[in-house]
Amino acid sequence: MIRKILIVDDSPIARKMLKTCIPKDQGYEFYEAGDGKDGFEKYKDVKPDVTFMDLTMPVMTGYESLEEIIKYDKNAVIIVVTADVQIKAIKKCMKLGAYMVLRKPLKREHIHSALSNARDTLQKAD
Amino acid sequence: MNIQTESMLTDEEIEIFQEIMNIAFGKSAADLADVIDTHVVLSVPYIRIMHVTALPDYFREHVKDYKNISIVEQKFWGRFKGDALLVFSAGAGKELVSMLQHEEKSGFESDPVDILERETLMEVGNILIGACVGKIAELLKDVITYTPPMIIMEKYSCDAIYDSQYNPDGTAIVLKTDFSFDNGNVSGFLFLVTSQESIRWLKDALRIFIEQYE
Repeated sequence: MIRKILIVDDSPIARKMLKTCIPKDQGYEFYEAGDGKDGFEKYKDVKPDVTFMDLTMPVMTGYESLEEIIKYDKNAVIIVVTADVQIKAIKKCMKLGAYMVLRKPLKREHIHSALSNARDTLQKAD
Repeated sequence: MNIQTESMLTDEEIEIFQEIMNIAFGKSAADLADVIDTHVVLSVPYIRIMHVTALPDYFREHVKDYKNISIVEQKFWGRFKGDALLVFSAGAGKELVSMLQHEEKSGFESDPVDILERETLMEVGNILIGACVGKIAELLKDVITYTPPMIIMEKYSCDAIYDSQYNPDGTAIVLKTDFSFDNGNVSGFLFLVTSQESIRWLKDALRIFIEQYE
């Protein structure tokens, strides 16, 4: 079951765009962070079921934040949402432990599908 | 942000455009990475919008650390139209040539270095400007055509952009990102100089773009 969702992106408008792609009838609780370091701190505080993570951010990049979160919680479900569409970037995210990588600009159906997959994974883990 | 900027685009419009630029730079990096077969790391893009009359001073301030610069210039036409100027420090050409030589050594060995640098900067500029401006156009439902790239090599940075170069009613969109590579570092500025007419179109296009997320 997914209850808490953390969105980590330095762009407020990107966070807003992502939130509008998430179904509103599921009663999710949303938490937000504006850089990778804040994202890691929020992760430890909130223990979200799913985290959406941008890569290109100030203070701490998404790669670093992803690495820190996975070190802290190896079962973290982190969906990387990025404009960086290089194959090497995607491979690096998966190697660091990302659950999946979604490319910007976001599409509602991709977010729905990602959440549905994450829900199945979390149910199997329970 | 100054008063002039506020009258051109609102804070929210700038944020939306910055996100679009982020996506566009991502496309540029991917296209460039395909050519040089390395991972391109981008910094967080920085954006400023100003009247074109403020551009020479802004430009001089931001390139003052570079004694000489090289500029790749390309004009583009669509609903969004203007000049794209990609500015590299003078050493960028050599750095890029050495990266490409690593990949395609045999093709470069007989060519003079200055020609190689010129051709390399033009090619890289063409890729970065085309991918970036092209992606903006795609996301904002515009169709754009381009002139071939032109290059100004090793220009003294203070003389590169002068006061009467552009229509004084124009608007400059200054975008900056640093590119770093697995095997070398190159940084550059991208300036888009456009018109008030294009800014009016841009405001509408940004509103239509964000409506799909409301």
